[in-house]
Amino acid sequence: MAVDRDRLHRTLTPRSVAVVGAKGPDFGWLENNRDFVGPLYSVQLDPNEITEIEKRGFTNYLKLEEVPEDIDLVICAVPRPIVPFIVADSIKKNVGGMAIFSAGFAETGEEDAAELQDRIVQLANDAGMPIVGPNCMGVYNRRQGVKFSDGVDHGDGGTVSIMGQSGTHTIGATTMAQRVGIPVSRGISFGNAVVVNEADYIEYLRDDPDTEVIGVYLEGLKDGRRFFQALRETTPKKPVVIWKGGQTAAGQRATRSHTASLATPMATWNALIAQTGAIPANSVDEMVDALQALVHTTAPRGRRLALMAMTGGQSVAISDAFGRQGLEVPELADKTYERIGEFFNVIGGSFRNPFDMANTIGMAGDSANLARIMQAVGDDPNIDAMVFEFSAGFFARMWKDHPERLEEMLDELDGFRERTGLPLVTVMHGGAMDEEVIPIRDQVVARGLAVFPSFDRAALALSRVINYYEWVDEAG
Amino acid sequence: MSDGNGPIAAARADGRTLLTEVESKQLLHDAGINVTQARLATSADDAVAAADDIGYPAVLKVVSGDIAHKSDVGGVELNLGDGDAVRAAYDRMMSAVAEAAPGSSVDGVSVQQMADQGTEVIIGTTTDPQFGPVLAFGLGGIMVEVLRDVAFRIVPLEARDARQIVREIRGYPVLEGVRGQAGADLDALEAMILQVSEFANEHPEVAELDLNPVFAYPDGAIAVDARVVLAED
Repeated sequence: MAVDRDRLHRTLTPRSVAVVGAKGPDFGWLENNRDFVGPLYSVQLDPNEITEIEKRGFTNYLKLEEVPEDIDLVICAVPRPIVPFIVADSIKKNVGGMAIFSAGFAETGEEDAAELQDRIVQLANDAGMPIVGPNCMGVYNRRQGVKFSDGVDHGDGGTVSIMGQSGTHTIGATTMAQRVGIPVSRGISFGNAVVVNEADYIEYLRDDPDTEVIGVYLEGLKDGRRFFQALRETTPKKPVVIWKGGQTAAGQRATRSHTASLATPMATWNALIAQTGAIPANSVDEMVDALQALVHTTAPRGRRLALMAMTGGQSVAISDAFGRQGLEVPELADKTYERIGEFFNVIGGSFRNPFDMANTIGMAGDSANLARIMQAVGDDPNIDAMVFEFSAGFFARMWKDHPERLEEMLDELDGFRERTGLPLVTVMHGGAMDEEVIPIRDQVVARGLAVFPSFDRAALALSRVINYYEWVDEAG
Repeated sequence: MSDGNGPIAAARADGRTLLTEVESKQLLHDAGINVTQARLATSADDAVAAADDIGYPAVLKVVSGDIAHKSDVGGVELNLGDGDAVRAAYDRMMSAVAEAAPGSSVDGVSVQQMADQGTEVIIGTTTDPQFGPVLAFGLGGIMVEVLRDVAFRIVPLEARDARQIVREIRGYPVLEGVRGQAGADLDALEAMILQVSEFANEHPEVAELDLNPVFAYPDGAIAVDARVVLAED
């Protein structure tokens, strides 16, 4: 049945929240939501818990109906036999909707548990009340400060929304995206999806002005036909990255006990990808990598790359990695070669594309020569995008002592992006220096640059995003 | 759905989920899909009359819910040039089937046009528990049986999906034409794929559909065998 869109909006963008059943020692559902912009209430009967809840400064009521204000979102964390009562209370209170963290329903395979779930679904459907879950981490809204984990940020901005059937992966993708400079505007961990399902969520995000890019983790579908149609309507406007969990026989056995999902042959999922232009991912890393390439670069308009490596060995490795993904490394224009040839040190270096340029831009960082290279490549008509590798393993120590040298290099990359409008991705492989490279990578992230830990991951992400934009172009 | 008195209703009335070839072809023909005409005949005279009507050369195929592989039991007679040939083939088939598959219930024979041999492809649909009808396309014969060289799309397909599914199979060069052999009419194949997609989309009661083989010609394509299986009621 179609979900009430206004109530779903209240549920996912709440202005008032009640947490039912918060418990010690952590009172996580209350503590996580301390930053919430509107009124936050606790509903708890247990006097032992109430004392601590009030000591922590939260306002507690014994029953939901006693809360003096309208409630948009009820976060329900009570033991499973109590859930139907809280659902009934929420309906009586006419709340926007619920997110039910409580687990132990149909996913257990127990008959009683399935019946309990059926009762909840019946109540909610009769009342037209959306429920996120059960068996999920629920709702994250960055602007509103509603959090499904203490690891997610609160604040303005964010163009990416992530929806997933797993709390671990939804929170994982959200926090990992944050870590590479991508604020996530919404997260929806929807678990068993028995009242509001994946088709409702993708339809909501399709129409949501706070969402420009969507990441999806799925194990199975409640309404595959409607999801397929909604996805088709979404991808021409907003890229959607889909990670399908349960791709192997063993994985499908795991999805059965995790979310009771039916098995569909991978060939059919691949058809879904081909028909909708969704961007496939096979892990949380691949999903976040694709998000980086989508959010931190401009839309690619072709597959011809300038590959900028520091050393000869890397120039070979980077060419293979991007070539394997079907991307092109063309010869540059004669004019470009003339310009660069005037100053480029070809002893232990090359500028034919791929570049091997450390000897020319100087181990100590000669930003004047780097600037000339970037100017010439930026003017070249044969190039659709640039990949820049830092050989961070070599330079980590130097950059640690002289962070300004990396900043100068990053200035050149920024300049290239501004001048040309071309997509630019960077690769920072730490080698044996990975600890030293972490703060250096953060300097790159701070510039809003896409930065990948390996050529292979960069190549996969960039090629998938290029494929997506080709798909959009072909769709006209 | 439209078939208040069509083949689907007839099968349901009999408690069958498997439609005969004649019923399947009628259903697909009504949906505008290019299939060879097939008519049920229950006697040699019937068969000759039907062949006179459809035109020669004709094909006879045994119609029996008990026989899965018709050619194995002498249940297929090809390239029958006139009424005498049809009559002789009918008698030959009845005794061959009775001998090779004794006890099978035989409803008669289907009388069909003999289509010229073309490049064999298959177009089919199955039902996925999550996505509903899914369309499959591949080269026919050994390519599908041994190499599993089949591509899939979720129904309903768009024009782009039809274009892609034809080009996705490894055997696509065969359709383009290789070593002087004429290629297949890709536009006609794509059009037929879209018709089958539309048919499956509008008939959720169809659990499975097989057009196998479809003969693809340099100009046009036609399904020469068809099988429709309904979902359990």
